[in-house]
Amino acid sequence: MTLRPILLHPDPRLKKACAPVSEVTPDLGALAEDMLATMYDAPGIGLAAPQIGVMARLFVMDCVKGDDTAARPMVLMNPEITWTSDESSTYEEGCLSIPEHYADVTRPSAVRMKWLGLDGQTHEEEFSGLWATCAQHEFDHLNGKLFIDYLGPIKRQLITRKMEKLKRELARG
Amino acid sequence: MTLLAIVQFPDPILRRPCLAVSPADASLRQLAADMLETMYAAPGRGLAAPQIGVARRLFVMDCGWKTGTPTPRVCLNPEILDAAPGLAINTEGCLSIPGVSAQVARPEWVVLRWQDLDGAVHQRRLEGFESVCAQHELDHLNGRLCIDLMTEDARGAASATLAAMGAR
Repeated sequence: MTLRPILLHPDPRLKKACAPVSEVTPDLGALAEDMLATMYDAPGIGLAAPQIGVMARLFVMDCVKGDDTAARPMVLMNPEITWTSDESSTYEEGCLSIPEHYADVTRPSAVRMKWLGLDGQTHEEEFSGLWATCAQHEFDHLNGKLFIDYLGPIKRQLITRKMEKLKRELARG
Repeated sequence: MTLLAIVQFPDPILRRPCLAVSPADASLRQLAADMLETMYAAPGRGLAAPQIGVARRLFVMDCGWKTGTPTPRVCLNPEILDAAPGLAINTEGCLSIPGVSAQVARPEWVVLRWQDLDGAVHQRRLEGFESVCAQHELDHLNGRLCIDLMTEDARGAASATLAAMGAR
């Protein structure tokens, strides 16, 4: 198990659509374990493969809060959204690839998703609340879309310029 | 065959919820064979993957070999479908927590569903020691240990041993 470096916006790999996973291989299991470890370490509640530079359609998430409830690490490969609620809800979202920037995003408050699990089986489940927001945010990553793409152009450019500055500073050391 | 090192409490890997496995993963066959070998050598009657450092959803068990009728089982992605309303108290040991006997109350029987290495789905009602063993091993896949469930008296008796192992 290895912690993987998380790509920072702006990066062309975060703007590209990812390719489907063809089958569940041992390598994919190891990748999913690395992604979960990286996510928990960050700490975050979701992480998509392109965020660590792997251009494949999978993401991990665990939206369980607090130490009293058992963790629920999930690995979703080739996810599809099969239903969205008419009702929407607004959450202040953040992203491990855009650290320290947060903004309100409105999305369907519940979604049904179908995916391939690490057991090789197809799973389907309805997500609501934070799980629904997280699943849609991660799903967007697989299509090269970030939460800041839901904001107005001025706010988005402001965040992008700040991120460019941060990356220059990090590059200088 | 390779004997694998058994992870000892309080190693954090014993606390991680494990991820599912695919029967199509050919490497599982060798892993399961090594786990059975390691379990027999220990000697024990059940061993879960996180106990040998692999945080994935599989365990091996054989509740008959010590009494002369080996019944090795390899359980992938096990789930409990139904459980007895009544509890029974048994004394459990764990290869990752040597020297501790844990008095634990669990449902008397469970219906377990699992996949084997060929991907075939099995469903079976387990009773007696097999029920205890399967529940104990399945707990490992969710980061839970028998010492979390033991009765107050057993906890008191085990506290010195656990503290010596580094429990916090």
